[in-house]
Amino acid sequence: MRRCLLATVVAVGALAACSASTSSGGAAGDTAEVTVFAASSLTAAFNQIGDDFEAANPGATVAFNFGSSTDLATQISSEGTADVFASASGTAMDAVEGDPGVEDRQDFVTNQLVIITPADDPGDVSSLADLAKPGLQLVLAAEGVPVGDYARQMLDEAGLTKGVATNVVSNEPDDAAVVAKVESGEADAGIVYTSDIASSDVNAVTIPDDQNVTATYPIAVVTGAPQPELAAVFVGYVVGTDGQATLERYGFGPPPSG
Amino acid sequence: VRRHLPLPIVVLAAIGGVFVSLPAIALAARAPWGRMLEILTGPGARTALRLSLEVSLAATACALVLGVPVAWVLARGAFRGRAVLRAIVVSPIVLPPVVAGVGLLMALGRRGVAGGWLDRLLGIQLTFTTAGAIAAATFVSMPLVVLAAEAGFRGLDTRFEQAAAVLGAKPGYALRRVVLPMVAPQLAAGAVLAWARALGEFGATITFAGNLQGRTQTVPLAVFQLLQTDSDGAIALSLVLVAISIGVLIALRGRITGTA
Repeated sequence: MRRCLLATVVAVGALAACSASTSSGGAAGDTAEVTVFAASSLTAAFNQIGDDFEAANPGATVAFNFGSSTDLATQISSEGTADVFASASGTAMDAVEGDPGVEDRQDFVTNQLVIITPADDPGDVSSLADLAKPGLQLVLAAEGVPVGDYARQMLDEAGLTKGVATNVVSNEPDDAAVVAKVESGEADAGIVYTSDIASSDVNAVTIPDDQNVTATYPIAVVTGAPQPELAAVFVGYVVGTDGQATLERYGFGPPPSG
Repeated sequence: VRRHLPLPIVVLAAIGGVFVSLPAIALAARAPWGRMLEILTGPGARTALRLSLEVSLAATACALVLGVPVAWVLARGAFRGRAVLRAIVVSPIVLPPVVAGVGLLMALGRRGVAGGWLDRLLGIQLTFTTAGAIAAATFVSMPLVVLAAEAGFRGLDTRFEQAAAVLGAKPGYALRRVVLPMVAPQLAAGAVLAWARALGEFGATITFAGNLQGRTQTVPLAVFQLLQTDSDGAIALSLVLVAISIGVLIALRGRITGTA
């Protein structure tokens, strides 16, 4: 038992030494890890892109930290361990651009909102206006979370803010939590991104373009990144043909042209 | 005789002490002291503080009403599987709160094992309601009552109960008039710990009961949401919880570790 513990300690120590040497070196042929902070709406697509990227770049590994873009921006400013930031909103990216700064910022994908309902649709929801039905239990992402802000903006533009106010039963920490509450049937409806539902068992009620809000996602290399070169390669992969094809498969739209 | 402690131990203890106290100190250092009163008496913070008080007190009451009988059964009952029962009843202490929340959802959610039944027959829905927040807080805090009360019952000489029985007291009367008063200190300590745990509950609450101002958004959930928009507010409310936690433990000193 004691020997086993000792072996573990040695192994962990060796690993730590390993990663320390690669982060200082980072030459080709070495193993290097790029740390990507990404909006939780990118989880499924980026996990796939991470696998593809590792396959295409032997020796490179990708470590993801998924979460609300706003939270991630705070973490990046205070921690400084991120190489790449992929944000669900320009505002969160602006914060990181201010501190600690970013390089190579570009919009790489767009996302739209969609209404989701449980498989059996207990609230009988077929349009945005149905969300104001009396007694309907609606979950949104919290204010300050990009998908929650976009949803409120859309409801506001549709003149539904007042109608849905009493129907909102929970302000969830992120889009994944909204999907979970609806998928489990606890809530009658939720508003998330089209990209959130590729891998879940919910009904999607499409929102017409003239009522919908388009979220534009920026990606950038974080200034002071531990692995700036690999970070740039990763960003290049995401905006390249292969990355874009994967993102499309997961429900994202192309970046705005121009 | 006063002995010097070995230096390595002192060094490790110092690191440990700093590690644990630094977050509280950092919060205090970053706190918007000038606006503290204004923030804490603002409508958002007041709503969260009032709801937290209600939810935590209700959860403590539930934990006592349900937890003390459980402790009594564990302490006095002689049956197979008692150790397993105790492990299950106490497990929320070590369970990740989010797991507790998912479990509660599966059990008491609108489509849950028992929750579906509650919803159909009685029209009671716990998710997204204050009752749900109380259920989540009770779930995580009851073990603290059980542990404290069971220790109290076990430490009690059974001859007191025998004497009461000899004098003609029925078991229920003896429990009420003899046993419970004698373990009151342990029950009080367990209740206060349970209350503090209920007050700090986050993961099970947001997973099971959701997050809505005035209904399920307790202070920890408000802190979490304010981090998105108003870090000063988040820090101010965090400090309230830090102060209460430390205050409770100072008030209970000795009751938990058994030292004076």
